[in-house]
Amino acid sequence: MNNAQLRKFFDKIKEDRVVFGPAIQDGKTIIKKIDDFRDLKLDGRLPIFSFKRFFLPEKESLFEYVGVNLSKPSERKTQKIALFGVNARDLKSILIYDQVFEKDPWYQERRENILVIGQMSATSEGKWEKIEEDLFEHLSFDIFLARFAPALDGLSPGESTRDSEPKRARISGDNDLTVFSGSVLGREVLENSGYNDFIHIQFSGPVKEKGIDKRMLRIKEKLEKQHDQAIWDRLGARCIECGKCSIVCPTCFCFRIDDQAELGRGRAERDDRSDNQGTRNRCWDSCFYQEFSELSGGHKFLNTTAKKIHFWYFHKFVRIPEEFDMVGCVGCGRCAEVCPVGIDIKEVLKEIEES
Amino acid sequence: MRNSYQTIPAVITKISPQTDNIKLFRFEFEKKSFKISGDDFIFRPGQFLILSLPGWGEAPFAPCNRLGEELELCVRSVGRLTRKLHSLKIGDKVGLRGPYGNGWPLNDLSQIANSKSSEKKNLLIIVGGLGLIPLRTLILGKKEFLGKDAKIQIFYGAKHPSEMLFSSEYKDWRKNGVDLQLTIDASCPEWRGCVGLVTKLFDAAKVVENARAFVCGPPVMYKSVIEKLKEKKFEEEDIYLSFERRMHCGIGVCQHCGVGNFYTCKHGPVFEYGLIKNTLGAI
Repeated sequence: MNNAQLRKFFDKIKEDRVVFGPAIQDGKTIIKKIDDFRDLKLDGRLPIFSFKRFFLPEKESLFEYVGVNLSKPSERKTQKIALFGVNARDLKSILIYDQVFEKDPWYQERRENILVIGQMSATSEGKWEKIEEDLFEHLSFDIFLARFAPALDGLSPGESTRDSEPKRARISGDNDLTVFSGSVLGREVLENSGYNDFIHIQFSGPVKEKGIDKRMLRIKEKLEKQHDQAIWDRLGARCIECGKCSIVCPTCFCFRIDDQAELGRGRAERDDRSDNQGTRNRCWDSCFYQEFSELSGGHKFLNTTAKKIHFWYFHKFVRIPEEFDMVGCVGCGRCAEVCPVGIDIKEVLKEIEES
Repeated sequence: MRNSYQTIPAVITKISPQTDNIKLFRFEFEKKSFKISGDDFIFRPGQFLILSLPGWGEAPFAPCNRLGEELELCVRSVGRLTRKLHSLKIGDKVGLRGPYGNGWPLNDLSQIANSKSSEKKNLLIIVGGLGLIPLRTLILGKKEFLGKDAKIQIFYGAKHPSEMLFSSEYKDWRKNGVDLQLTIDASCPEWRGCVGLVTKLFDAAKVVENARAFVCGPPVMYKSVIEKLKEKKFEEEDIYLSFERRMHCGIGVCQHCGVGNFYTCKHGPVFEYGLIKNTLGAI
């Protein structure tokens, strides 16, 4: 897909979806609503924030309440959107959301309306020949746009496992994108836009054939065996419980449920004369926040910083793998980037591994 | 699709004060076709449900009795939600959802009790403070849940005699064959029984034999009770602990009740001791 075709494809999608994607602002990659195709920046770089909020908003209304009765929010939008240019790491986190919120009606309703278009620059990912087998088949996307490095020209991603695939969907020019579909929706959208030169990838589940990464299993085991408390004490002494890592982490999905009383409307305007009216919201939470583990009466189970940061790691590297056979970390490194005291997840994992 | 967060309106039908700040509430569902006795909201002893007062929030509570189409919750007024609940009157409504969690392991117990084997058919209940609440359904339904030959012994510790829950029922419990042993934290003029922590009862009373132990109480209680149980040769697989944790979802998603590999709401609230003894932060 060359640039002109990409533009046509983008415009076609924009006809019935609001498009969000990576763009550059003040020299940084961010995610924003893309109105002009020229703003879209598909260079494979990670935006500061992940695509989390499109799947799990910071705050969403679960119900409207009148008295004790809960009903579906009347103003709930089911806007159709397209996430245009989701990098492979953020795509991985979608697999986790899909599992965790499998039975969640609000998530499912939102999810149905999201068209996921993945992107990758081969140069930014390396080890290219195994990408289809190791990565593509284990990511959930509707459409994927891959930019192959010129040096690897001639190597088709289909070649390793798909001999019967038509050979036409190859790298053709330096800047062209190779296009894959990953769902029926993706195929339809591509065909409707008049672009047919794509390869279909069959999603083979979130876990590679070889199983969960061996190193991650070692880390899980260490954590389960309470390897070395000193690591957590040291981290506890550094961490300032700001919770920034939770906010930027694509796989931090903790939430709390809060009621918000409505003050605006007078009683006369409502059908029900109950005084008690408002919305029940689900909001992002963080295990670093004070109330996270607090019981009525004030007892806190996570009563030290060390316990909180341990809880954060334990969730990603033990509970998520235990529950879903996936690692709860996509390796994006955003937590390290925003940490005011320089805690680097890579170093922490290395320390755990070597403990 | 089914919505786990949707609550069902229930009406308060009775309020019985227990102590200064604890009340026993009785509820029935507003919609009469919604049956507690049927499959709509059947709960096993030790499971919990979530009570909702929109505007004041939600919190988990273990029901403490099931009476035909009614259920009971015993609640201390201690936070925003429970203070509001305490201000309600008969006829007022709340929302309920659940039941959640696993409850006490009763199936094998009643099976053992009904078989000829004399093995572990009895029950030692060790509770402190509000910890008695999730066990009351079981105590009141002794015959139904444990079989008629099973013995129940209860070690119950409270701060003060005035804080003892369900005290008007003790006579009936004892008449029903329950060996109820009580202790209070510090001596006071109106108390002539055992004084000391609940663990003191292990030495004050003869511990029931062939029993499993069900433990529920404030977080500080577990360690010392487990030590005592081990001392009395209870096997790990015969010790069950009910945990209290903050909960928001009740279905193992929100993370607040995470304990090691487990979610208290989903894998608990009752845990076999052997399963969580090495879990950091559990006990």
